[in-house]
Amino acid sequence: MNCRDMNHALIGRSMASPLPSEAEDHLRTCARCRLLAGALRLPVAEARPSPASLRRIETGIAAGLRPVHPMGSKNCLLAAFVATFIATVALSVYRMGAFAIAVMTPLQTSLTLGSLAVGTGLLAYSLVNQMVPGSRHRISPRLLPLGAAISLVIVIAVLFHFQHERNFWAKSWACIRAGMPIGALAAVPLWFVLRRGTILWPTMTGAATGLLAGLAGATALEIHCPNLEACHILVGHLGVAALGAVTGLLIGVAAERGLPGRRLNDSDY
Amino acid sequence: MRSGLQENSVAQRSFVDLDHWMERYQQADPAAPATLIAALSPALLCFFRSQQANREHADDLLQDTWLRIHRVRHTYRPGEPVLPWVYAIARRAGVDGYRKTRRIAAHEIAMEALPARFAQSEPPNGLPAFEDLVAALPEAQQEVITMLKVGGLSLEEVARATSSTVGAVKQKAHRAYERLRKLLHTYAEDNVAGGAP
Repeated sequence: MNCRDMNHALIGRSMASPLPSEAEDHLRTCARCRLLAGALRLPVAEARPSPASLRRIETGIAAGLRPVHPMGSKNCLLAAFVATFIATVALSVYRMGAFAIAVMTPLQTSLTLGSLAVGTGLLAYSLVNQMVPGSRHRISPRLLPLGAAISLVIVIAVLFHFQHERNFWAKSWACIRAGMPIGALAAVPLWFVLRRGTILWPTMTGAATGLLAGLAGATALEIHCPNLEACHILVGHLGVAALGAVTGLLIGVAAERGLPGRRLNDSDY
Repeated sequence: MRSGLQENSVAQRSFVDLDHWMERYQQADPAAPATLIAALSPALLCFFRSQQANREHADDLLQDTWLRIHRVRHTYRPGEPVLPWVYAIARRAGVDGYRKTRRIAAHEIAMEALPARFAQSEPPNGLPAFEDLVAALPEAQQEVITMLKVGGLSLEEVARATSSTVGAVKQKAHRAYERLRKLLHTYAEDNVAGGAP
């Protein structure tokens, strides 16, 4: 056993439980690890809140104690996010038309819409977990928006051709202008669902929500716009998702700066 | 002072029924808040003190945390572990408190060396106190080590409380131990050279 293995033996082990015999052997020969293990077994200074402080908290809570209904199940919240997304896309496509489906190959259609669906599902699931403190995250919620965006860029870059296009910026701008209102439309019900939980990290949640709303716009454009040039899709369609994420991020930053630490008052309960 | 081992085992025993009491808290049982506050406040206070090392500020953070817990108690799902839920809220309160403090007193603490107050708080065995050791770590490592040792949380629970994955928590703990090992070694060498205990 070396010092690295010793770390693994110490991590995740209750300080009260004995170390494996190999770890004990290593401790006899390694002064550094002996110091570390000794330090981790040191007494922790007792922390007792003052009785007055505890009484103040208890009295305040007891005075305003009302029964509350626990939040809905994760599946219900996930369904609400997904239903919002699908309804927004369906409404937009109904209004604008589904011209892209006719010109895309089945492979392009299935992979593009499939990857958009997977990204949407993962983001929605992450948002459900972010609404409930202490939830288990299988994928880091900080990395997920970035990972989803990069994956979509790769899928588009592989499936569609890059070619010179006249009036590239004008066409892309037209798609962005059509997609942003769709994203904004999706963001409103998403916000109402989010409000049912608690948002501990507004920046992270804002970016994920903005990206999800933006993906609604990007998906609607992907079904509607018959322009299959890769650059156009990346800038004009996925640009809506990117702008949504940035907007959500900025709203989150603004919300986070407006969260002052407060002292407990009786009126707060 | 009580031993860390005793502290943790007491904490573990009292955490057994927390989910039950949390459900009763949601149902407005008047006995539930007092039980939860009594069971969780010492560990939470210890968690804040190990990060802030300021009793007055830690008390404020404890009050702020309970205020937040009370406001969002509907977000606790019956059957889920209580500790990650509580620590996730406490962590947010700690970050807000830290930012507030930083705005008021804009000074830096050098993290590469053990704090100067080590010498004042040494336990009899010659090693620095746990709070001082942890204070020498970066913030992210501090909270992981404090939750593991003081809060008595498992790796899975720390991951939940920090909105992270178990792998990321393991990595932070590993880096923290590496750093502590170096710091303790330097500290021991300095003591030998200086003739300190």
